[in-house]
Amino acid sequence: MAAPVASVARSVVSARVLIVEDHPVLRSVIRVACEASDRLEVAGEAATGEEALEAYRASAPDLILLDLSLPDMDGLEVARRLRRDAPQPPRILVLTGRREDETLFECVRAGVDGYIEKKAGVRSIAVGLERLAAGERLFTPEQERAAIEGLGRLVRRAREASDVAPTITPREREILQLLSRGLTMRQAASRLVVSTRTVEAHMAKLHRKLGTSNRVQALAKAADLGLIRLA
Amino acid sequence: MASKRRLGVIVVDPLPVVRAGLSLLIEDRPDMEVLAEAGSTTEALEAVRRIRRDGVVVLVGLGLDGEHDSFWLIRTIRDRFPGVGVLGCGANADPLSISRALFMGADGFLDKSSDPVEFLQSLRRGAAGEMVLAGPPTEWVGAIADGLERRQMVETTLTHRERQVLEVAAEGLTARQIASRLGVRERTVTTHLGRIYMKLGVGTRVAAIRVAASAGLVSVGTPE
Repeated sequence: MAAPVASVARSVVSARVLIVEDHPVLRSVIRVACEASDRLEVAGEAATGEEALEAYRASAPDLILLDLSLPDMDGLEVARRLRRDAPQPPRILVLTGRREDETLFECVRAGVDGYIEKKAGVRSIAVGLERLAAGERLFTPEQERAAIEGLGRLVRRAREASDVAPTITPREREILQLLSRGLTMRQAASRLVVSTRTVEAHMAKLHRKLGTSNRVQALAKAADLGLIRLA
Repeated sequence: MASKRRLGVIVVDPLPVVRAGLSLLIEDRPDMEVLAEAGSTTEALEAVRRIRRDGVVVLVGLGLDGEHDSFWLIRTIRDRFPGVGVLGCGANADPLSISRALFMGADGFLDKSSDPVEFLQSLRRGAAGEMVLAGPPTEWVGAIADGLERRQMVETTLTHRERQVLEVAAEGLTARQIASRLGVRERTVTTHLGRIYMKLGVGTRVAAIRVAASAGLVSVGTPE
């Protein structure tokens, strides 16, 4: 390769990258692409979330390329922990297999600095890392909009929760909580020392308030709104 | 024909200079017009009530103070005039004020210090019902989302009465003063407070108020 040119450019401080990717082949291809850039230097590699946190502590990289699907934990969880615990949080470029608006929202929420799809290609990934190193954020306007729409869903849920919550009686909450622990209607009834019919009547009212038609839906909705906590 | 499709904007802000500036910016666009300016919540509601047509959005500056503040106005417009768009608007607003405005019913938030082109585009998209954030950095999405979730938690955990007690307590009143304000016995208030602490998982009134403030349930400081 063009060794003399590279050695001149080396005088510019290059950003140190930690590559977090569980697929060994992809990982090494990305490493090669990073090494080919005179603005990047590979500080380490990790194949799992735990390894990533460990490698971060050991090498304190400037940038992290973070695959979202890791065998031991969600890549977003790694991002959250780094943002929370690292004295000087690294800049994070999220690498993902497929595009989902909800994931995009969660990424933005976790405070990552960019989002790139694997199908963009290894060169683009390296270029993305270079741009991150230069202080840019890597979200397209379309991605930013998708993330803000995610915020919109959160707003609607919070409003709905505060509309619905006051209409749910303490007894209804109790029943939801018991059913969420796997009790049948009959068991819930005997626990509350009422008849099964009474519990059924409560459930009918709950369905009306929650806009649901079966028990699984009702529990999911109640948990989503924060009316009950699923253990 | 074209005038029929124009977006009508009602500009609400306590500062005349800000209203004038925003109006100039909006009137400069062929597809928008300013229908009214209002400097208070009363004026704003009057304007909304008077102007009955489609395609109206109210741009509410978050700096209105007093018993009925900007957030109250947003909620009231949302409840009474569901067909009218509402957007929060501020300068240097913090993430919590933004999540509060959104929770109360705003379709989005526009920062007055954002780029005029972006401001107007977002105004149009927000008026069409899309959630918009013009100005606040994307990094704020996390903090805004946290505020909304805390609000949801408080709203679903506390009863209506408990929330009222907490709101009044945040004004710094004693249990006796809270009792006389709400027309209940002092004992009732202390019982409510005890239950509020338990539900929010806190040990003191200051901590409870802090939770309420971080959820945007009560105002602390100015919204701008």
